[in-house]
Amino acid sequence: MPDPSFVFAQSLSGLTAAMFLFLIASGLSLIFGVLRVLNFAHGTFYMLGAYSAYQIVQWLGPGPGRFWLAALGAALAVAALGGIVEHFLFRHLYDKEELYQLLFTYALVLILSDVAKIFWGTQQKSVSRPPELTGSFALFGATIPHYNLLILLLGPAIALAFWFVLQRTRAGRFIRAAALDRETLGALGVNVDRLYTVVFMLGSFLGGLGGALIAPMRATVPGMDTEVIVEAFVVVVIGGLGSFWGTFLGALIYGQVLSFGILLFPRFSIFAVFALMAAVLIVRPWGLLGRPLR
Amino acid sequence: MRAGLAAPATMTAAARWTPALVLAAAFCVPALGSRFYTFVANDVVIWALFATSLNLLVGYTGLVSFGHAAYFGIGAYTTGLLMKKTGVSFLLAFPAAGVFAGGFALIFGFFCVRLTRIYFAMLTLAFAQIVWAICFKWNEVTGGEQGMPEIPYPDFGWLERLGAAVPLVGGWRTAEYYYFLTLGLVALCLWALRRIVGSPFGRILTTIRENPERAEFIGVNVRRYELAAFVLAGGFAGLAGGLFGIFNRGVFPDFAYWTKSSEVLIMTLLGGMGTFFGPGIGALALILLNQQIVSYTEYWPLVLGTMLVVLLFGFPGGLAGAATALWRRARTRPRRA
Amino acid sequence: MQRRMILVALLSLVLLVPVAADAQKPIKVGMPMPLSGPPALFGDPATKGALMFVEELNAKGGVLGRKIELLVRDSKADANEAVRVARELILKDNVDFLVGTLTSAEGPAVSVVAKENKIVFIAPIPKTDQLTAADKLHPYVFRVAATTTMGGRSAAEIVAKWPVTRVATMSFDYAYGQDVTKAFVEHLKKVKPGVQIVDQQWPKLGEQDYNPFINAQMAKRPEAVFSSIWGGFFVTYSKQAKALGFFDAIKYNFIGVGEAATPETTKSMGADYPVGIWGNSYDAFYWGETSAHRDYVARLSKYLKDEYPSSWAIQGYIGMQFLTEAIRKANSTDSDKVAQALLGLAVETPMGKLTIREKDHQANRGQLYGKTVKDPQYPFAIMKPAVYVDPSPFMD
Repeated sequence: MPDPSFVFAQSLSGLTAAMFLFLIASGLSLIFGVLRVLNFAHGTFYMLGAYSAYQIVQWLGPGPGRFWLAALGAALAVAALGGIVEHFLFRHLYDKEELYQLLFTYALVLILSDVAKIFWGTQQKSVSRPPELTGSFALFGATIPHYNLLILLLGPAIALAFWFVLQRTRAGRFIRAAALDRETLGALGVNVDRLYTVVFMLGSFLGGLGGALIAPMRATVPGMDTEVIVEAFVVVVIGGLGSFWGTFLGALIYGQVLSFGILLFPRFSIFAVFALMAAVLIVRPWGLLGRPLR
Repeated sequence: MRAGLAAPATMTAAARWTPALVLAAAFCVPALGSRFYTFVANDVVIWALFATSLNLLVGYTGLVSFGHAAYFGIGAYTTGLLMKKTGVSFLLAFPAAGVFAGGFALIFGFFCVRLTRIYFAMLTLAFAQIVWAICFKWNEVTGGEQGMPEIPYPDFGWLERLGAAVPLVGGWRTAEYYYFLTLGLVALCLWALRRIVGSPFGRILTTIRENPERAEFIGVNVRRYELAAFVLAGGFAGLAGGLFGIFNRGVFPDFAYWTKSSEVLIMTLLGGMGTFFGPGIGALALILLNQQIVSYTEYWPLVLGTMLVVLLFGFPGGLAGAATALWRRARTRPRRA
Repeated sequence: MQRRMILVALLSLVLLVPVAADAQKPIKVGMPMPLSGPPALFGDPATKGALMFVEELNAKGGVLGRKIELLVRDSKADANEAVRVARELILKDNVDFLVGTLTSAEGPAVSVVAKENKIVFIAPIPKTDQLTAADKLHPYVFRVAATTTMGGRSAAEIVAKWPVTRVATMSFDYAYGQDVTKAFVEHLKKVKPGVQIVDQQWPKLGEQDYNPFINAQMAKRPEAVFSSIWGGFFVTYSKQAKALGFFDAIKYNFIGVGEAATPETTKSMGADYPVGIWGNSYDAFYWGETSAHRDYVARLSKYLKDEYPSSWAIQGYIGMQFLTEAIRKANSTDSDKVAQALLGLAVETPMGKLTIREKDHQANRGQLYGKTVKDPQYPFAIMKPAVYVDPSPFMD
């Protein structure tokens, strides 16, 4: 019988992984909710966020607060990239078949991941945790690194911030309206084209931020994009495509299934995650908190 | 009105004979003497079958699957396991690949066709990743990460003996015999697929693609037809997988990984989803382009991605679409004078 | 209309241009190696070591009057890709020999290709016993790397001397991880009866998040840990482990046989490296026990333009040494003759004399083992002392 401090530690690591996934998947979910497209390149935005953070840290050199500047800078850079891609390219595919939109996002994966290789080479890059957060403390017998704790707090904080923006601000209302009925919103005089660009940039920002924040904990390396995008898909499907809190819930479930799966059925924890995704799609396709697509 | 889906009666004589000519030319590739050309041709032929099987779903029925590699992988592992671990002959192992893949397509497809659009695509992806996860982790059976290297070639002894009597049949290398075998089998499968899409069944599929509600309205059980298309597509993909496992000299888990599904989807798009031979042309073009480009640069994905973008914006009908439009323009020009 | 014509014309041009033919004179050697991702930490320098040897040899006129041309290809540390790349090297580039592969998934897969095409294949890095096991051995495969048996047993001898009884293992779930851990556990139980294996974790090769595995292992309260996680993966794993207080909990009684103590690893981790753990390495620029070694390091340092040159270059170097020595001895580039010449061949490498034994085509390649310490001379941790463990008692 595993002792409680271990169970606590294991669920914490599942939560930390979940928060990272939430950051990435929330951007994906937002873009899908409004633009109705599943952006394969979202994983690549995440990767570019990590690489950009690495690069900015290299430029800035050591010093207090450098890492946070780098993370913010990276997220903004990725958002800008998203805006450019949406405005000049993606926009022209909205009236085409869904398949073309999906394949375009996949083409972006190919192009952007090679661009990353050209800039940063193929070797693994390492980002150190910010010096303020290299310590750890003990709680219930488990060792919790300070950085992990920050991520655990940052995740829900960002979720709440976005919830607030979506529910309580005018821009948020427009975004939700665009998700429901684009034409009517346009007829009401709102510049829907610009709104779409803003949403795409916002989603990309989240993806890039997720990548930048995860860089100190994982390796920044080619191929991290194709791995994470499938994980993000699982999260978004379980929680509900287009539902913000659904993504949060999906990420939590995913994190816990994976970390306890390693204990209970170590060989098949990967299988369990995809089986869960399939089960949700079979039983309740629009996810735990989602709404049926019209 | 999509080009190429017209009934055979309106095709010209040239169009009808082209496939046969291409097949004959393909048989002559080993005579060129380069082992590499045979290698590439073998690759192209198998992928052509894989891509055409996907087109049955995407182009003809309008179902976008992101998990088609699952059936390719299942076929490869079936043939590999049967031939390597239990010593079963190719005569049984090859059809078994199609049967097993089709069987799984039946189970997975049953759930998939109840969904539409993005949910359908996501579920096909989920099932494909499940297949991959099993192949990747079930070390005892599938070899896990290492895969199963060294799948035996089918026994070609009988061909050698025949070659002693019949000219041109004997004296080839094993890899070349395997190429001839693959070519013959793929030609057979493509012929079968051609008959299927040309049949009333195939026409109902296109009706479903164009307007599922209207199809339902005129009495078609859309779900059942979609499932049938799914199973057929999966079965033929499995056959392609079975052939590929032997060709590749080894079966590995990433045969079922989602990036393989996207590769074959790109081939189908590149060649043209609106025609029967489009995906095959796409396979040829993509593999040859790949070979050419990697001898100049390591950034093949960048080139491929850019090509894809150009295609999506400029030539949605793919190569075959562009070629057919060209052909039609050329034919109508004299009349305008 | 115009643009469609242009597209079709361009495409036909591209398709008709034949793939480049190569000149026949130099001896062509194909080298599939991982050059991207975490494995590149080891694969890239290995390639450079081979390239340096080839450059030096060609400057002296090559072998049998012909220069060596090394064709390096990225195998992406993936068995499928390695097979593909190897076949293209053979069929398209017409290589005469293959020297390469890094992971224990790539090695056996490429060995099959070498067998079928009757091309001599020297594996400088894959360690799994399966590569040269009785049922997989064939006339054309040779190995100048250590084996999982050697690695596991050497580590067991070291751990046997520690005052511990509860031991855990953490290895990747594939041929290398499984085989080396098995060898370790079996030998440890033999030389230290009474030891208890309290936990075994098997993350997948390429894992990025080791936290659940580390937590699960810490819960079993091991006193010592054996791990074969390697390359860039070890960097990620140990960073995460250190953050969780793992190394403190086991008092640094940790041995990483995935070459965890190489200068590459300690250099790339800097202050994040868990100084005090045990590890091994094929080479270390600071070992310098023979003049041959010191001379090699000086040349390598110059070639790589690095004051602290890589420890992985040596495997590429030794692989090429054996190949060219065999070609010289056979006085031919015919595969069968070269394969024959490799049996029992002894070569003076910078690490000493190595011999490929006839019975399983395996060289007696030992490794340096040692405990890492902070040395004021260098900005990163080193093994002190770095002891070359002779593998002869562990090879069967």
